[in-house]
Amino acid sequence: MNLLLLYLLLLKASVTSFSGLGSLPMVRNDFVVERRVLTDHQLNMAVVAGRTGPGPNGLYLVCVAYAAGGFPGAVMGFLALITPAFLVIPLMRWLGKRADIPRVRSAIRGLLLASAGLLLSSSVPLTLDAFTGVFSAVLMTASFAVLTFTRIDSAWLMLGAAATGLATLMFH
Amino acid sequence: MTKIRLYEKPSLKKLTEIFFRIGNTTFGGGYVTIGMLGRELVDTRHWISSEKFDLAFALARVTPGTNIIAFCAAVGALIFGLAGAVAAVVALTAPSAVLAVLIVRGFESWQGNRIAMAAIAGTVAAVAGMMWSTIWTILRPHVGGLTRNLQVVLIAGGGFLASWKFHVTPLPIIAVGTLIGFLWKDEGRP
Repeated sequence: MNLLLLYLLLLKASVTSFSGLGSLPMVRNDFVVERRVLTDHQLNMAVVAGRTGPGPNGLYLVCVAYAAGGFPGAVMGFLALITPAFLVIPLMRWLGKRADIPRVRSAIRGLLLASAGLLLSSSVPLTLDAFTGVFSAVLMTASFAVLTFTRIDSAWLMLGAAATGLATLMFH
Repeated sequence: MTKIRLYEKPSLKKLTEIFFRIGNTTFGGGYVTIGMLGRELVDTRHWISSEKFDLAFALARVTPGTNIIAFCAAVGALIFGLAGAVAAVVALTAPSAVLAVLIVRGFESWQGNRIAMAAIAGTVAAVAGMMWSTIWTILRPHVGGLTRNLQVVLIAGGGFLASWKFHVTPLPIIAVGTLIGFLWKDEGRP
């Protein structure tokens, strides 16, 4: 895949999201649905890899870029991940004075809600891909509950999920 | 006699070292990292005031992309200008990014290994639950009261339907959601 195109596609996903996994709908649309560079399973793997180690949640973009373009692609993914962050510098000058204006707040809220709807639409096929039976359904529910209602570190959750996966292998 | 405590002056090298250490050894997502950085930069070293730290936090939330990276750029810029922003962002993300790529490579080479694949299947299922938790985390602050709930249903539900059922691409959905938010001013809670 052309590296500049890869950078621009990931930058588009990064710039139009406001959280680590918020870019997932755009990534899925461009890489899985439109261009068929990745499968849902590969995208799931990229998300897992991004969440397994330390660092920001958005790191999965680097893994997506690696899967699509090898090491040079990963560099493009890294650049696409960090580029939007520097927008905060002019934003500190401009929005710092306007952040409390109700209409600006409402527009940001509208943007966040639309992002949630998109994330919902991306999560359905990825969930179906991850669903392999009762065991995976229980793990999904437990993962949701742990992250939503407790302060347990997500690294422990991943470790526990991997251990549970191994345990089920022993029982089969 | 008044005790005067001397604090170490900020240097680019030290700033890079702090972001490298905290960013790449802290598990648990952005909020944990922000907490650790606050302890180090505001409470311990006094390199930045708590007001400026809070401003960086608030603005990072409305900056496109990953919030924690924008937060580091803001704090780095407040302490050491553009060089500080670049140093903070690269020190926080580059080592973790290398590690993430190595993990993906590991996944690829473990494809034929039953034990490794069983462990990976467990983590893939956990990530699916994580996505639903992220959705709930985004929606939760916006739920409550008839008007606000209606906005959630209309914008988030409409976005979901447009994408899922009618295959509308994300950009127009985000643009329409922002426009609805701009026109339909939220009079409720902040």
